[in-house]
Amino acid sequence: MNYIGTIGEKEVKVAVRETGVARYSVTIDGREHLVDAHHVQSSVWSVLYGDASFEVDVQGKKDEEFEVLIAGDCYKFTLMNEQRKALMRSGGKGAAGKAMVASPMPGKVVKLLVSVGEEVKADQGVIVVEAMKMENELKAAVTGTVKEIFVKEGEVVESGAKLLLVE
Amino acid sequence: MFKKILIANRGEIAVRVERACREMGIPTVAVYSEVDRHALHVRYADEAVLIGPPPASESYLVIDKIIDVAKKSGAEAIHPGYGFLAENPRFADRCEKEKIKLIGPSAYAMRTMGSKTVARKTVQAAGVPVVPGTMEPISTEEEVLRIAKEIGFPVMLKATAGGGGKGMRLVKEEGELHSSLRMAKSEAKSAFSDDSVYIEKYIEQPRHVEIQILGDQHGSYVHLCERECSIQRRHQKVIEESPSVIVTPEMRAAMGKVAIEAARAVRYEGAGTCEFLVDGKRDFYFLEMNTRLQVEHPVTEMVTGIDIVKEQICVAAGEKLSIRQEDVRQTGHAIECRVYAEDPDRNFFPCPGLITSLRTPGGPGVRDDSGVFERFEIPIFYDPIISKLVAWGKNRTEAIARMRRALNEYVVTGVKTTIPFHIRVMNNRHFIEGDFDTNFIDKVFFKEEGERILEHGDVAMITAAIQVFLEERKHAMAQKPLEAAGPVSMWKYSTRPGMRKPG
Repeated sequence: MNYIGTIGEKEVKVAVRETGVARYSVTIDGREHLVDAHHVQSSVWSVLYGDASFEVDVQGKKDEEFEVLIAGDCYKFTLMNEQRKALMRSGGKGAAGKAMVASPMPGKVVKLLVSVGEEVKADQGVIVVEAMKMENELKAAVTGTVKEIFVKEGEVVESGAKLLLVE
Repeated sequence: MFKKILIANRGEIAVRVERACREMGIPTVAVYSEVDRHALHVRYADEAVLIGPPPASESYLVIDKIIDVAKKSGAEAIHPGYGFLAENPRFADRCEKEKIKLIGPSAYAMRTMGSKTVARKTVQAAGVPVVPGTMEPISTEEEVLRIAKEIGFPVMLKATAGGGGKGMRLVKEEGELHSSLRMAKSEAKSAFSDDSVYIEKYIEQPRHVEIQILGDQHGSYVHLCERECSIQRRHQKVIEESPSVIVTPEMRAAMGKVAIEAARAVRYEGAGTCEFLVDGKRDFYFLEMNTRLQVEHPVTEMVTGIDIVKEQICVAAGEKLSIRQEDVRQTGHAIECRVYAEDPDRNFFPCPGLITSLRTPGGPGVRDDSGVFERFEIPIFYDPIISKLVAWGKNRTEAIARMRRALNEYVVTGVKTTIPFHIRVMNNRHFIEGDFDTNFIDKVFFKEEGERILEHGDVAMITAAIQVFLEERKHAMAQKPLEAAGPVSMWKYSTRPGMRKPG
């Protein structure tokens, strides 16, 4: 199978082929790598690359961001099918200047610092969310107007919950 | 000795105390909230009693409920651990009134040291150097601004009743004052039900060095040398070690003497810690005294061989200290890494959730004080600490090498943890050289990390690509019509052991 990997701004071509039991040939930008990979524990893989042994913790899935931990270092990138990537290119981009403020963790909304219709600047604190006794002030990503607020003070929110929209 | 001890806490520290009790042959009573029925401290205790809903304010912090459980279960003493009720003088008063021994200092000692302004006055009177700042809580913003200008920016705002970095804010310039004051007050209010704050001159490039002391009811004191806790983020300790690379034998003796004097001034009983800031000239300033068992007590235990929790229990029962000052020796070097359920690659956002798999480190010189297990769900209601990993070595170099090795063995999946962060610190040149202060993580480390080239990008992408490849294939197989997989042979069924018809 062929994929496009995206690391920051850079794109690479990735091809995977099974060559035996738990043996794979993975080609990245024309360079072939032969590995012996076993899914050993939850999200953890044991990978033998040549004689080198790696413990690789793979978090994430196709089309979304991967976060892979190896020896304490975190590698972030996306992997997408070649065809899907091509489809996405032909499609339009999302509306500019819109930004959703979402909760990065489960917690409780302690304070709303803005109200609907208020003008905010990028990087301005708009909401305070408390998790595990620490208060975290979340900031607007763009300059604009507060279009909608989805939560109330005191409300318990899940990770990723929409908090407010700035447009 | 006590016939039964109640532990008014949860998580790793409750387990730590239960371990000491087990070794001493003292039965334990655990208390737990509705989300903690599966927690390790409940499973590990001899008895366990439900005390209420998940929020600590309705369970672990409710004095009436805990006293009630102690009386009904016949516990003669309560160990408060750290946090929750550990430094609450009203709880100490209540225990005294109910004739239940609180394992810790008196309410008087807690009150004196607990109000940082009173503590400053008390130790200053004894000739101990303190950091310039106000002695009283400040109420209005105008006053905060006036004093800040007087002692000069940068200044620290601190909760009068504070601890653990909560209600604490660094203010670099006047413009930041308003928002910092609001956050410090709001955090102080929710963490300690007291929003008063005071202000202190911020010492630049300070190192945090603290002295562990022990005192008994007969007026004897020893100090168990220092711990250095300069590796902090958001003013919260994350890595501690003993000995400190900057402390000389003379400094150790001087700091130890001062710490004991501070303890004696409040007739301190049990385990306590005097925290100091040390500046570039190795002058030290009293910061505060923590009237409880510290999170980082294991590093001292590893280098001195003294079980601090057992000593706490013995002196609470009225026994004399089992050690004299001349018996206390630091042997080798110990480092502790606090493993939190936080995402180090997303600004340490808390990351509660289900631990889907776990592999804990072992081998020589490694100690893991944990409060979790595989399939445990870390609740959102409490501190996100998973465990404290401690490594001992004959010297600092070996301790670092062991810690790095142990961290690499440690596997926690399902939630993000600070393990990767600790590995990176153990590999950092400045940390290895002992060249750091309390600003190191925020000012130096992250900047250096941002410039570091990562080595194994290919392996990361190869593994993720294999995972995607296998998932897609599995998905494709599942979508094939059933006949394609071929019918199951009845003949095969009939020959399976246990399926064969008799006769």
